[in-house]
Amino acid sequence: MERFLTSFSESEGGWHSDGRTLVLATPRGEVTVRTKCPPGSFGNLRMEDGLGHFAHYSSIIKTVGAFEEIASRKQSIVTMALAESNLIAGYCVCWYPAADERWSALGELMYEMAAIEVSRNYRGADLAGIMLGNTLQYDFFEDKIAYMVGFSWHWDLEGTGLNPAQYRQKMMRLYGRFGFREVYTNEPNIALRVENVMMIRVGSRVSAEDQLRFRHLRFGIKRP
Amino acid sequence: MLQDYPKAIVTPDGISILLRPVVESDEEALRVFFSKIPEREQWFLREKLTDHELLHKWLQRLNFDSIIPIVALREDDGTIIANLRLYRSAAESMRHVAHLRVMVLPEYRHHKIGSWMILDCVKLAMDLGIEKVIAEFINGMEEPAIRAAHRLDFRQEAVLPNYVKDREGKYHDLLIMVRSLQREWSDF
Repeated sequence: MERFLTSFSESEGGWHSDGRTLVLATPRGEVTVRTKCPPGSFGNLRMEDGLGHFAHYSSIIKTVGAFEEIASRKQSIVTMALAESNLIAGYCVCWYPAADERWSALGELMYEMAAIEVSRNYRGADLAGIMLGNTLQYDFFEDKIAYMVGFSWHWDLEGTGLNPAQYRQKMMRLYGRFGFREVYTNEPNIALRVENVMMIRVGSRVSAEDQLRFRHLRFGIKRP
Repeated sequence: MLQDYPKAIVTPDGISILLRPVVESDEEALRVFFSKIPEREQWFLREKLTDHELLHKWLQRLNFDSIIPIVALREDDGTIIANLRLYRSAAESMRHVAHLRVMVLPEYRHHKIGSWMILDCVKLAMDLGIEKVIAEFINGMEEPAIRAAHRLDFRQEAVLPNYVKDREGKYHDLLIMVRSLQREWSDF
């Protein structure tokens, strides 16, 4: 069950002004999901115990300070799932690709769903789906090719009890719910293991020409 | 599983290729495809799909539960340039295993299309819950495909010496290569 609260507006009129807040009932108690968390809103937060370092797995984002830096980037989105008002139970972050990544060759057409993670203690309540769905609700995405890359060496196989093939399917089902589909590429990191996956969602206003440029770029061919 | 098709690849010289499951209306394009396979290679086909009538019946009886046939076609003119079939047994004891056969037109054999098709097949098999994909190659005749399989982590499991006979009556070894798909987290 979920209920929406009002949009919050720490930076009225700017990129973060249409952030949304909703409250979910989970088996572990209420969790608040906030999209477009602005810089300056992370100071009193701390990571929940199910995020962090484990024997075979480490969170992609390990410190609260990292969220501050990400939220400061141009048109980045930080979505948080908070328990007990200041405990980070999950997060979803997205941004434009870094200049040294292949996908940056297409400028602001490309937008990376860079990381999504839910604490081991809060899994099973579809927090990942709710964070992702609410992050993707912005009209901004209709001008973008949103993409995610799943590297099997980042996956919490131990914590989930899944093997890489099963985890890959779980990721594909999650993103598939929001219109993402798998595409192929010869990008070396993605191509390194067959379990790895690249999925994209093409915005409704992305031109056929831009889609073709992206297709060629996936195979290392640059078109004008 | 199949809803993500067609999947696009681009060859190094910029040709756009689409991978997708075979449909009944592919019959004419498949006839053309098989007619371009060199005769010495047609000899080794397990199913004589070069025969028009057999191809027609094969397409009519297609059952994706036992065979998933994928074609690669040029996006610009729809020419089928490669064909891959993933076979699954109906027996419960063998449902976790699938066999693949791949065939690429000679003029497209240095564009890595076979490699992409095998990769696609491995991913599809993984998503179907298959645990092992088995590929059989004729030693000395299918070297590009053998190299592609090695690159995709297929391991040689067995050699059947003098198992296959060519049109001239000469014997060839059959290589059996296997790709395991269901690794555990402890493998990392």
